[in-house]
Amino acid sequence: MRRFRLSPMGIVGVAMILLTVIVAVFAPLIAPYDPYETVRVTIMDIYQPPSALHWLGTDDGGKDVFSALVYGSRVSLIVGFAAAFIALVVGGALGLIAGYYRKLGGAIMRFTDFFLVIPDLALLIVIVAVIGPSLGNIILVIGLLGWTTTARLVRSQTLSVRERGFVRRARAVGASDPHILSHHVFPLVLPLMLANTVLVISLAILSESTLAFIGLGDPLLISWGKMLNLAFTRGAVSAGAWWALLPPGLAIVWVVLGTTLLGTALEELLNPKLIRHHLEKEKPLKVRPASLLPPKPELILEVRGLSVGYESPGGVLTAVEDVGFELRRGEVLGLVGESGCGKTTAVMGALRLLPPSGQVTAGEVLFEGQDLTRLDADSLRDLRWKRLAVVFQGAMNALNPVRRVGDQITEAIRLHEPSVSQGAADDRAKRLLQRVGIGPERINDYPHTLSGGMRQRAMIALALACEPALIIADEPTTALDVMIQAQILELLAELVDEMDMSMIVVTHDLGVVAQTCDRVVVMYGGMVAEQGLAAEVFASPSHPYTQLLLEAFPDMDHPDRPLVAIPGAPPRLNELPPGCRFAPRCPFVFDRCRTEQPPLYWAGESSAASCFLLEAPLQPVGDGDDV
Amino acid sequence: MSERTPVLEVEDIAVQFATSRSMFDGVRRRPVRVVRAVDGVSFTVAPGEVLAVVGESGCGKTTTANLILGLIPPTSGRVVVAGDDLAMLDKDAMRAKRRRLQMIFQDPYESLNPRMKVGDIVAEPLRVHKVPTDRADERHRVERALVQAGLSPPDVYWDRHPHQLSGGQRQRVVIAAALALEPQVLIADEPVSMLDVSIRAEILNLLARLASEQGIAVLMITHDLSTVAAYSHRVAVMYLGRVVEIGPTTEVLTSPRHPYTEALLSVVPVPDPARRTRPIVLVGETPDPSRIAPGCRFHPRCPRAFDQCPIVDPPLETVGTDHLAACLLNSR
Amino acid sequence: MGRGRYVLQKVGWAIVTVLVVIVFNFFLFRVLPGDPARSGARDPRLTEESVAALQERFGLDKPQFLDLDGGNPFDTQFFAYFGALATGDLGISYAFSDQSVADLLGQALVNTIWLVLPAELIAIFLGILLGLLAAWRRGTKVDVGALGFSLFLWSLPTFFLGIVLLYVGSRWLGLPVAGRVTIGASFTDIWNQIGDVASHLLLPTLTLTLVLVGEYMLIMRSSVVDVLSEDYILTAKAKGLSTFQIIKDHALRNAMLPMVTIIALNLGFAVSGAIQVETVFSWPGLGLLTVQAVDQRDYPVLQGAFLLLAISVVVANLFAELVYGWLDPRIEEA
Repeated sequence: MRRFRLSPMGIVGVAMILLTVIVAVFAPLIAPYDPYETVRVTIMDIYQPPSALHWLGTDDGGKDVFSALVYGSRVSLIVGFAAAFIALVVGGALGLIAGYYRKLGGAIMRFTDFFLVIPDLALLIVIVAVIGPSLGNIILVIGLLGWTTTARLVRSQTLSVRERGFVRRARAVGASDPHILSHHVFPLVLPLMLANTVLVISLAILSESTLAFIGLGDPLLISWGKMLNLAFTRGAVSAGAWWALLPPGLAIVWVVLGTTLLGTALEELLNPKLIRHHLEKEKPLKVRPASLLPPKPELILEVRGLSVGYESPGGVLTAVEDVGFELRRGEVLGLVGESGCGKTTAVMGALRLLPPSGQVTAGEVLFEGQDLTRLDADSLRDLRWKRLAVVFQGAMNALNPVRRVGDQITEAIRLHEPSVSQGAADDRAKRLLQRVGIGPERINDYPHTLSGGMRQRAMIALALACEPALIIADEPTTALDVMIQAQILELLAELVDEMDMSMIVVTHDLGVVAQTCDRVVVMYGGMVAEQGLAAEVFASPSHPYTQLLLEAFPDMDHPDRPLVAIPGAPPRLNELPPGCRFAPRCPFVFDRCRTEQPPLYWAGESSAASCFLLEAPLQPVGDGDDV
Repeated sequence: MSERTPVLEVEDIAVQFATSRSMFDGVRRRPVRVVRAVDGVSFTVAPGEVLAVVGESGCGKTTTANLILGLIPPTSGRVVVAGDDLAMLDKDAMRAKRRRLQMIFQDPYESLNPRMKVGDIVAEPLRVHKVPTDRADERHRVERALVQAGLSPPDVYWDRHPHQLSGGQRQRVVIAAALALEPQVLIADEPVSMLDVSIRAEILNLLARLASEQGIAVLMITHDLSTVAAYSHRVAVMYLGRVVEIGPTTEVLTSPRHPYTEALLSVVPVPDPARRTRPIVLVGETPDPSRIAPGCRFHPRCPRAFDQCPIVDPPLETVGTDHLAACLLNSR
Repeated sequence: MGRGRYVLQKVGWAIVTVLVVIVFNFFLFRVLPGDPARSGARDPRLTEESVAALQERFGLDKPQFLDLDGGNPFDTQFFAYFGALATGDLGISYAFSDQSVADLLGQALVNTIWLVLPAELIAIFLGILLGLLAAWRRGTKVDVGALGFSLFLWSLPTFFLGIVLLYVGSRWLGLPVAGRVTIGASFTDIWNQIGDVASHLLLPTLTLTLVLVGEYMLIMRSSVVDVLSEDYILTAKAKGLSTFQIIKDHALRNAMLPMVTIIALNLGFAVSGAIQVETVFSWPGLGLLTVQAVDQRDYPVLQGAFLLLAISVVVANLFAELVYGWLDPRIEEA
C-alpha cells in the first residue's frame, strides 16, 4: 500500500479545523463573557470599538463580540459535522445501491438529477421557513439536501469498481451481492466517500451561516451567521463598526477554508490525477557536448548514446540508457522488447515527444544530418510531420474526438504546405483515406464512428499527409484483432515500398519484426541487448535474452514445440540491477555480469550484442564503427 | 482422452440478446435487432483434457464461458457439468456446482483486489462456499492451493499485497484461488495475453500440468492460436457464434479443413525473416454478430466461396478422426 | 436523427422536471408541519376579505389531492392549484398590499436577470481565460496564485463578501448602498438615469462575479489539464502545431465540454448567490423578494418565487445541455 501522506495543504487544513474544534470545546474557558447571559446595557455600550475590556469591541446589543465569536464556533461545527454525517449515510447508501444495481440505480439517479436542478439555497429557505428554524431542523434539512453530491460520487465510484476484474472474479466464484458489496466495493469506495464528506462539511457550514444571515438561524443560539445578520441589519455599516462584521465573517472563511483544504488534499491523495500535460515547458536538455563525428549521408536516422530519465517521487529513474542505433534510407527498423524495456521511451525521447516528467539526459539524435536534441523549437516544428511523422496507437485516443477525420488531415497539410488550397488539401485527404482503405466519403466523419481498425487506418493516412521521409509506428497493431492486425501490417509494408519511406516499428511482437523489418534492435531493461540485420539476429541470436525470447515465442510451423519460460520478471525501473540488466534471469550468468555492464561486442557480420560471453576473442564495438 | 466420460458437455447452446431499445424506438416502431452472440455451440471436455476455444472478438467465446459458468442463462440448449444439467439445478445445488466450475481471467493486474493480502484472496472462495471447517483447515487448503499454483513456500506469499507481485505471480494467485475449491472444470479466458512473452510459458505449463496431474478439464479461451498450440489437446475455432471447426490440435493446425481456420493460421506472424509468409488476409471488419449473413456465415469474407455458400448453411461434419468442420468444400 | 432525439429527450426531461417541481411545490406548502395555508389564514394582518379570498382560493375545506368520497374527484385543492397556475394566477400577496404575486414576481425577475446575467457572463469569460492560463502554465507561480485565489473565493460566504464590498464601497468610494435607483433623485436625461442604475449595479455584480469566477476557474483549469494530457494533444504536437494553435484548435473545444455541464449544474449556485447579494444590497429581485416573504411569512409570494427560481434553473439548464449537444459530435450516437 502507498504510504498515507497528506500534502502541506492538507496539514494546514487539519490544523485550522483542530484549532476551531479546540475553541468550540473550551469556549467557556476562552470567552471572557458569557454571551447567553442577559446584561443591562445602555446606549453607550453599543458598537464600542475594540478595547482592553472588549478585545473585538461590542455589538448592537452592547455585548462582547469576541465571546460571541468563540461560542459561535459551536453551532458551525455541530451543524457541519452532523449534517455531513447525515449526507454521508444517506448519500453513501443510495450511491452504493445505485451504482451496484443498475436498473434501480437509474431510477435513483433520476431522483437526484431532480434535486440537482433545484436551486438548493431557495429550497433550504423554503423548507426551513415552513418547518421552523430550530437547530435540529436546520441540521436535518442541510443533511438531507446535501446527500446528492455524495450519492453521485459514490455511485460513479461504485460503477467503476463493480466492473473491475476482481469483482467479476468474485462473482464467478459464486459470491453473493452482499458479500461483494461489503468485501470488495465498500472498502474501495469508503476512502473517497470520507474525503468527499469533508467537503460536504464545508458546504454545510456555509449553508448554515447563510440561513442564519437571512434570518433563519436558530433563534436561541448564537452563530456567526446570526452575528452578521444582527450587525448588518442594525446599522453596523453606517456606524462604521467593522469589528462587529469582520470577525464573524472571517471565522466562517477560516473554517470553510480549513475543511476545503483538507477535503481537496484528501481527494488528491486518494484519486491522484495525471496532472502533467503535453504542453508544459520543455526542460532544458541536459546533453553531453556533441561528438565530433560527422553524420553519415547514407543514414536517415542515427541515434547515439541516448539516455532518458523520468522524474519520480524517489528521484530520477533511468528508463533508457546509452541506446544507439542506425537506420538507412528505405529501411524498416524494428524496436522490440517486453513491457517496460524502454522501447517507446527511446523513440519518443529521440523525437522530443516525451511526457513532461521525462527528459533526455544524454545523447545525440541525427535526423537527416540535424541533431534533434539540439534543434530550436521552430526548426523542429518545421521538420515534424513534413519529414518525420508518427503513427500512434489508433485504438487509443490519438485522434481528436471532436474534429472530423478529414479536417485533422488537411490541418497538417495546410500547416506545412501553406500554398495548398483547402480544396486541394481536401482532395489529397480523400485520396489518402482511399489509399488506406477508408471510403473517401468518410472524410467528414468523426473518429468515434470508426472501428478500432479503421481508426488505425485513419491514423496512418494522417501520418502520410505530408509524405514524410521517416514514419515511426508505435505498437501499430496492439489491441487489434489478429485479422485486422494482418491488414494493418500488410498496408504499412505496401506503403513503405510505394512511397520510398523509412520506418521504425516499435513492438513487443517478434513475429511482426520478423515479417516486416530489415533491421532489429532488441531492448531489455532500458538498454540495447542485441541489434543487427533481422535475418542475422533471428538466424543466430547472440545475446542469451534474444535466444530465450525467440524460444519463448510460438512458431506456427512447429505448433508442437513447447514454449520456453524465462524465469523471473523484467526489472522495474526503480530496482535495476547494477551489472548486466539481464543477469538476474540469465542462465549463463557469472560473477562479472552482476557488477559490470557489458559493452556491445560484435557478434557477427552485422550484429552486435551486449554480453560478456562474446568478449573473447571479439573486440568491443568502438565509437564510430558501423553497427 | 476423449473415450473418458466428459465432465463438461455443451449441447447446442444459443443465446440471443436484443439490442437495447429506448422508448423512442418503440414509438417509431423500429424493429428490434437481435444479436445472436452464441448460435448453436456443442462440445465436450473430458477430465484432464485441455480444449482451446479460438476466435476473434465478437465470435461468442466469452459468452460461451459465461453460459458454462451459469452467469447468463442460455436461450436454448443445455450445459451439463458432471452429469447435471445446470438449468435443472435449484439455487443451492447451483451454488454447490459453482464450486466445481472455476474461472481465470485475462488481466492479472485487475483480477486481484488491491486492498487484500494473497492469503485472504485465495481463502475468499473457500469462505464464500463455507468449505473450511476451522481456521487450521482453511490455512491448510490455502497453502495447498498456493503450492499447486507454483507459489511455494506459501508463507512467503501469504502476507503480500498484489502490487508486490510480478504479473506472472499475480496470475498464479488467481489460479490458486480457483484451485482452492478443487474444481473439476477450469475456464481460462485469455490467461496469458496480458503477460510478457517471456513468462507466458510458465502459466501455460502450469495449466497443462493441472489438467494432466489433477484431471481438471481446462477450457482455454483465446484469440491467439499460436500461444495455445502446444498446450491444448483439441481446438475449437469459433466464428460468429458457431464452432466452424473442432478437432485434435495438431491435426487442425497442420491440415485445417475450414477456410477461416486456414486464414487465421496464415496471419500469425512467424518469428523468422527467412520464412516470410504470404498471409491470407481477409478483407473487412471484425464481423458483427447482429448482422449474420444467410447461408454460410463466413461466405462474405471467404476467399474460396462458391455459388452454394450464400444459400446453404453448412453443418459440422466429420472430416477425420474426432475432427469436424462446417464447410461445403469438404463435401464437394 | 440522433441529434433530434437528443434534443427531444432533453426537452422532455425538462418538462417532466418542471411538472415534478410544481407538484413538489404544492405539497411542500401543505404537508410539512406548520401548514402555511392554514396558519396564513389566521394571520392578523389580513383583512376579512383577504381571509375569505384566501380560503376560497386554497379551498381549504376541499380534499387535498383526489376526492374519492363521491363528488367530482378533481374538485380538490391540488387541481385548483394546477388550474390557477395554468392561467398564470399565483395568488395574492399577504404583505405587499394585496398585489398579485404574478406581478410582483415579474418585476423582480427582470431585476434579477439584470444582476445575474452580466455577472454570469463576465465570470464565465474570466473563468475560462484564467483557467486556461493556469492550466497551460501548470505548476508555475501563475498557476499556484490562481489556485489559491479561487480556493479563497470559494471559502468566502457570498453575503460576507457583499458586506465587505458594501462597507468599502459606501464608506470610501461613495457608491450607493441599496436599491436600484437613488430614491427621490430627479434625472436630467436618460444617460443620467442609466448611470445611476449602473452605479447601483456595480457592487452587486462585482460580488456575484467574484463568487462565480473562482469556481469556474478551478473547473476550467482541471478540464484543460485533463485535455492537454490526452493522446491527441501529443499527436497535434507531433504534427508540428504551435502551442497557441494546439490550445485554440485542439484543446479549447474539448475542455469546454465539461465546462458547459458544470455551468449548467451551477446555475442553482448562481441563484443562491443572487439571493444573498440581493439581500445585502437590497436589490429588488427574486432573491430579496424571497427573503422578505420569509420575514413576513408571505407564503403565496414564497411559493411563487420558489417555483419561478426552480423553473428558471431548469430552463437555463436545458439551454446548457443543448449547447453541449451542439459542441460534442459524439452525442449523435448516444
